[in-house]
Amino acid sequence: MNVEWYIVLSSLIFAVGAMGLLLRRSPVVILLCLELMLNAGNLALVAFSRMVGNQQGQIFAIVVMVVAACEVVVGLGLIVAIFRRKLPLDVDALRELRG
Amino acid sequence: MINALLWTPLAFGLIGLFLPRRLAGWWATLGAVATLGIAISLVAGFDSGASGLQDTVDVNWIPGLGVDYSLGIDGLNVFLILLTTVLWTAGTAFAAFRQQDRPHLFFLMMLIGETATLGSFLAQDLLLFVLFFDLMLVPFYFLFGAWGSDREGGPSASAATLKMIVYTLIGSLLMLVGAIATAIIAADGGHITFSIAELAKHPIGEGSQRWIFWFFAAAFLVKMPAFLLHGWMPDAYRAAPLPALAVFSGVLAKVGAYGFLRVVLPLFPAATIEFQEVILVIALASILYGSVMAFTQTNVRLIAGYSSVAQLGFITAGIFALSADGSDGAILQMVNHGLVVAPLFVIIALLVERTGTEDLREMGGMAMKAPVLAALFLIVTLATLAMPGSANFVGEFYILNGLFDSKIVFAFVAISGVAMSAYYALRLYQRTMHNRKPAGLISREISWRDGIVLVPLVLCILGLALYPQLILKRTDTSVARSVAATEGPSGGSPKTLSAKRPPSPGEQPTQLRGVAFWETHLTAPDPTKASQ
Amino acid sequence: MSATGWAWLVLLFPLLGSIVIALGFKVLPSKAAGAIGTLAIGLAFACGVAALINLLGEAPDARHHASALWDYASVAGLNIKLGIYLDPLSTFMVLIVTGVSTLIHLYSFGYMQSDEGYHRFFSYLNFFVFSMLLLVLAGNFVLLIVGWAFVGFASYALISFWYRRATATKAGMKAFVINVVGDIGLVLAAFLIFRELGTFEYSEVFAKAPHVFHTNEWTVTAICLLLLVGAFAKSAQLPFHTWLPDAMEGPTPVSSLIHAATMVTAGVYLIARTHVLFVLAPTAADIAAFVGLATLLVAGTIALVMTDLKRAIAYSTMSQIGYMIMGVSIGAYSAGMFHLMTHAFFKALLFMAAGSIIAAMANNQNIDDMKGFGKAMRFTSITMLCGGLALAAFPGTSGFFSKDEILAYAHARGGMYDIFQILGYFGALLTAIYTFRLIFRVLPGKPCPEAQELIDTGHVHHAHPFNPATGEEEDTGVGFPGADHHIAEQSWPMRLAMGVLAFLALFAGLIQVPGLDDVVTKFLDPVFADSPLTRIVPSVGASWVGLAIGAAISIAGIGIAYWLYVARPETPAMLIERLRPLHTFLINKWYFDEAIDFLIVRPALAIGRFANRTFERLVVDGLISGTEDVVGGSGRLVRVVQSGFVRSYALLLLVGFAGLALYFLLSSS
Repeated sequence: MNVEWYIVLSSLIFAVGAMGLLLRRSPVVILLCLELMLNAGNLALVAFSRMVGNQQGQIFAIVVMVVAACEVVVGLGLIVAIFRRKLPLDVDALRELRG
Repeated sequence: MINALLWTPLAFGLIGLFLPRRLAGWWATLGAVATLGIAISLVAGFDSGASGLQDTVDVNWIPGLGVDYSLGIDGLNVFLILLTTVLWTAGTAFAAFRQQDRPHLFFLMMLIGETATLGSFLAQDLLLFVLFFDLMLVPFYFLFGAWGSDREGGPSASAATLKMIVYTLIGSLLMLVGAIATAIIAADGGHITFSIAELAKHPIGEGSQRWIFWFFAAAFLVKMPAFLLHGWMPDAYRAAPLPALAVFSGVLAKVGAYGFLRVVLPLFPAATIEFQEVILVIALASILYGSVMAFTQTNVRLIAGYSSVAQLGFITAGIFALSADGSDGAILQMVNHGLVVAPLFVIIALLVERTGTEDLREMGGMAMKAPVLAALFLIVTLATLAMPGSANFVGEFYILNGLFDSKIVFAFVAISGVAMSAYYALRLYQRTMHNRKPAGLISREISWRDGIVLVPLVLCILGLALYPQLILKRTDTSVARSVAATEGPSGGSPKTLSAKRPPSPGEQPTQLRGVAFWETHLTAPDPTKASQ
Repeated sequence: MSATGWAWLVLLFPLLGSIVIALGFKVLPSKAAGAIGTLAIGLAFACGVAALINLLGEAPDARHHASALWDYASVAGLNIKLGIYLDPLSTFMVLIVTGVSTLIHLYSFGYMQSDEGYHRFFSYLNFFVFSMLLLVLAGNFVLLIVGWAFVGFASYALISFWYRRATATKAGMKAFVINVVGDIGLVLAAFLIFRELGTFEYSEVFAKAPHVFHTNEWTVTAICLLLLVGAFAKSAQLPFHTWLPDAMEGPTPVSSLIHAATMVTAGVYLIARTHVLFVLAPTAADIAAFVGLATLLVAGTIALVMTDLKRAIAYSTMSQIGYMIMGVSIGAYSAGMFHLMTHAFFKALLFMAAGSIIAAMANNQNIDDMKGFGKAMRFTSITMLCGGLALAAFPGTSGFFSKDEILAYAHARGGMYDIFQILGYFGALLTAIYTFRLIFRVLPGKPCPEAQELIDTGHVHHAHPFNPATGEEEDTGVGFPGADHHIAEQSWPMRLAMGVLAFLALFAGLIQVPGLDDVVTKFLDPVFADSPLTRIVPSVGASWVGLAIGAAISIAGIGIAYWLYVARPETPAMLIERLRPLHTFLINKWYFDEAIDFLIVRPALAIGRFANRTFERLVVDGLISGTEDVVGGSGRLVRVVQSGFVRSYALLLLVGFAGLALYFLLSSS
C-alpha cells in the first residue's frame, strides 16, 4: 500500500485528537485525546520507517510509547489528586496559572 | 573517599524515608555525622604543600559534550567542605531535637541540600558545578516554602520563596549560558571540554571574557547576596525555618564567593582585572549598606541577614583585592562567617522560642536566668564583630591588608564597616540579653540538647581563634595559584611590598636616614637654658 | 627559668583564673571565686617580679627578649607569631598592672561581697588583667591590637556589669564603639607599617624604621597619627574622651582598676613603645603633646564643677593622662612612665575611697548630699586624704615628683615646649583645687544623715533604690548591690588594699628624686636609649627649681580650695551665679557629647533610617519592581494568552507548530 494512505490516516487521527483536546473540558478526555495524537505520530513514524526500510522510525515509536505511558501515569495521578481534593474536574475551572 | 563524602548524605536521606517518623531526624543526624567523619579524615589526609588537586575522581560522564564527572579537593575548598559538614551536622541535630512537620521529607531535603552543596564545592567540571549549584536551590525551595512561616503584613512563605527562586534562577541560567559559551569558545571548533583546569590553561579571548564574566558574576552576587541584588534576602530570611536558614546562610552564601575563586579568577583573568574596581565598589556598597541596615533593623533575623551581606562584602573585597593575602583572608573569613552565623541563627531560634517574638524591641534581660546561653551568645557576638583575637579578625585583617596593598582607598572605606559591625552586633546582644526584661517574658537556661549543638560550634570558633594558621597554611598554595592568573602584565604585582622593602643591612647608609634630622636640629642641651 | 618563661606565666595565671572562675560559676562558693581571682593575679605579680630579677641579672643592653609560641597567621608574606617582647618597659608595665590589680582584686573581694554577679565579676576582672598584660607584653603589632581590643571588651563588660541598668548598658556600648574606632586606627597603622617595612614584629620595625623613613615623611607621620587615634580612644583624650565619665556606671573597683590605674594608660604605653616612630615624626609627636595639653586643661576645668563624685575623679584621670601623653610625646619618656605609675597608685586609692563613701551613701554619688564623712569613716578619710595629697602634688608625695619631672623636661627642651610647662603648671593648680574641692566637701563639716547614722549605729540601714540618672528603680536581682554596704571600715581586705596604696601614694615618689636615685630612669634607659630626645636632661638644679614652683602651686591650690569650700562656703554659689554661662558650659562638659551626637551619631542613624525606609523600598525593591514592571508590562500584553485555560494553550501550541511546519514547507520549496 502506498505510504500516503498511512499519512492521511495519521493526519486524521491527529486532527481528531487535536480537536478533542481543544473542545473538551474533562481532563480525562483531554488525556485520551493526547494519546490519540501521540499514536497518530507513531503511525506516521512506523509508516515512514517501512517506506525508508530501516528500523529507526520504529525505535522512535517505541520510545514515544514509553513516554506516553509515563505521561498517562502522571496525568492520571494528577486527575486522581484533583478528584481527591474535591476540585472540579474541569480544565477551565482550574486556572491557577492565569497571568 | 570523595564519592562517599558526596553521596553519603543523599543515601542516608533516601534510606531515612523508610524508617519510622520519630527516627527520621536521628537517622539524618547520623548521616550528617558520618559525612562529617569522612570530611575530617579527608582534611587530615590533606597535604598542604601540594599545589594540585587531591583525592580526585574523574570519569567521562557525557563524552559527546565533553562533560566529566570530575571531583577534587584543594586548598580552596577543603575547609569549606569541612564547614559544610560541620554546619549540616549542627543544623540537622538541632532540627532533630525538635518536632518537625513531615519529618521524612524535611530531613530528606536537608540531606539533599548537603549533597548538592558538597557537590558544588567539589566539582572540577564547569557544567557539573553549574548543575550542583542549581541543585542546591531545589531542597531549599521546599524547605523555605513548605516549612517556613508566613509573616503578618509581609509576603507569605511561598511568595518569599518564589522571589528567592526567581532571583537565583535568573543568575543560574545566565551562568549556564556563560559556562556553555566558555566551553564552546575555548574549543574553537575542536574538542569541547568543561574541565576547569583545562579551560584555565588557555583563557578565552578578552572580548568574550568581558560578557561571560558578568554572567557568572550575576549568579554569584545574587547568591551571596550582594548590594542591589539582595532584594530576595529579607523576605526569604523572615520566612525560612531557622535550622535550614542556619545552613543556608552559613554555607550556601559562600558558594558564590567560592565560585569567584574557583571559576572566575582562573578562567576570566583579563575581565577580572578589568572589572576589579566595579566589583570592589559593589563589595564596599554591600559592606556599608549591610552594616547600616543591620543597625536599624528590629527583626533579629534580618540583623543577622544584613550582617551577612556586609560580611560577604568583605569576602568579595578580599577576593578582588587580587592578592594572595586578600584571598587567603577571604577563604578564612568564609569559614569563620559560616561558623559564626550558624550559631547565631541557632541562638536566634532559642531566643524566639523563649520570647515568642522576633522583634528586638520586645526582647531584653534574657541573660539573668541563662548565664550559659548569654556566655555562648557573647562569644558568637564578639566573633561576629571580628573582635581582634578571633579568627574573624585575622580574616578581615588579611582581607584588608590585601586591599590596602592594592587599593588603599577602598581599604579605608571598607574598614569603616568594622566600626559599624561592632555597633550592630553588640546592639543585638545587648537588646536581647541585657536591659530590663519586658513583663511576661520567660527566660530560661539553654537545655543540654541545644547545648550539644551550640557548644561544639562555639568551641570551633575559639579553637580557630587560637590557631587560624590551621586554615591559612592549607589554603595558601592553592589560593596563590588561583590568584596568579590575574597577575598578568596589566594586573601588576599584588604584593608590592617587595618594591619598598628596606635595604638589607649590608647596604645601609652610614647615616640613619630618619635620624639625620635630629643630628642637625637637636644639638646637645644648652646648659644655660636648662637652669632657670 | 628564663625571663620570657616567667612572662608567659604572667599571662597564663590571669587567663586560667578567668576560665576557672567562669566554668566553676555553679560549683565554686563565691568566696572561693574571689580568692582564686586574687590569687591568680598575685601569682602573676610574683612571676613579674621573677622576670624583673631575671632581667636585672643581665647587662642593660641585653635586656630585651622575644619569644613566640606558635605561628598565629603566617602566610602570603605576613608573618604573625603568637609572640611576646620583654624589655624593661614591658616589665615595668607588667609590674604596675599586676601589682595594682592584685590590690584591687583584694578590695573587690570585700566590696562586691553582696553582689549576685560575684563570679562574673571576678572572671571579667581576671580576663581584663590578662588582656592588659597581653597588650603590654605583645611582641608584634597584631598581638598588640588583640590585647588592645580585649581590654576594650573587658572594659565594656565591666561597665555594663549591672546590665539591667539602661544607663550602664548605654555607657558600655559607647565605650566599646569608641574603643573600636581606636582599634581601627591601630589596624590601619599596622597595615601602613607592614606596607612600608614588611613586618609586624616590634624589634624589626624599630630596627628598620630609621633606615627607611626620612624625618617627617608623610608615611611615618600618617602611621603615628593613626597610632594616636588608638591611643587617644583608649586613653580618653580629646575628642575621644566622652566614654570615660560615662564608664563610671560600672562598679567602683572597675573604675579604679580599668578606668584609672591601668587600661586608660595604655595610650601612654603605646606612644612610649613606638617612640622610635614618633621621633621620626616630630609633627605627630607635637600634635599628641598638644592634645594631651588640651585634654589636661579641658578635663581639669570640667572636674571643677562636676557634682558626681566618681565622674569628677574620672575627669581628673583624663587630665592626668593628659600629662602623661604630653610627657611621652615631647620626649620625657621615663618621666611619663613614672607619672603613669604614681598615678596608678593614688588614683586607684582615690577611687577605692570614693567607693567606700558611695557604699556608705547607698550608691548615691552626688557630693551635694555628702558631708562630714571625716568623723564617720576615719580610715577611708585618711586614705582619701593621702590620695588627694598625691594627686594635688603636695610636696613629698609621689605625684609631686612625677608631675614636676615632666614639666621640668618640657622646660629643658625649651623653645615652643615652654608652653607645656607654663600651662602644665596652670593644670596643676586646677588639679589641686578640684581635688581638695572634693575632699573639703565630703570629709569635714556637719555629718549628713548617712554619715550620722554610721556614727550612731556603726552601719547604714537604708538602700538607695533609684538610679540617679534615670530615676528608674534599681534591679538588685542581677547583682546591683542591695541593702548591704561594704565600706572599708568593716572589711579587712579593703583596708589592706587601701593601706598599701596609701603608703605607695605617699612614698613611691622617693624612688625617683632628681639627683638622688632616679631608679625609674635608669631602669628604662636601655629602652629609650635610641631616641635622640633622651639626650636632653634637665639639670638637677633646674629640676629642683621646678619642684619648688610645683610645691608652691600645689599649696596655693589647696589653699584656694580651703578658702572656697571651708573658710567661705558661700563663695562657690556666688561665683556660679556670677559666671553662669561659664558654669553652664562646664557642667555640660564643653558640649562634646552633643557635638559628637550631632556630627556622627545622628547622621549615621538618619542614613540608616533612610536606607531602611526609603532606599530599600524605592531602589532595591524598585529595582525589582522596575524589572517587574517591564516584565509585567510585557506580561500584560501577552496576559490575554495566559488565560489559564489549558485548551487555549493547546490551541496556541498547535497553531505555533502549524506555523512552523508551514514555514519549513515554504522555505524548502
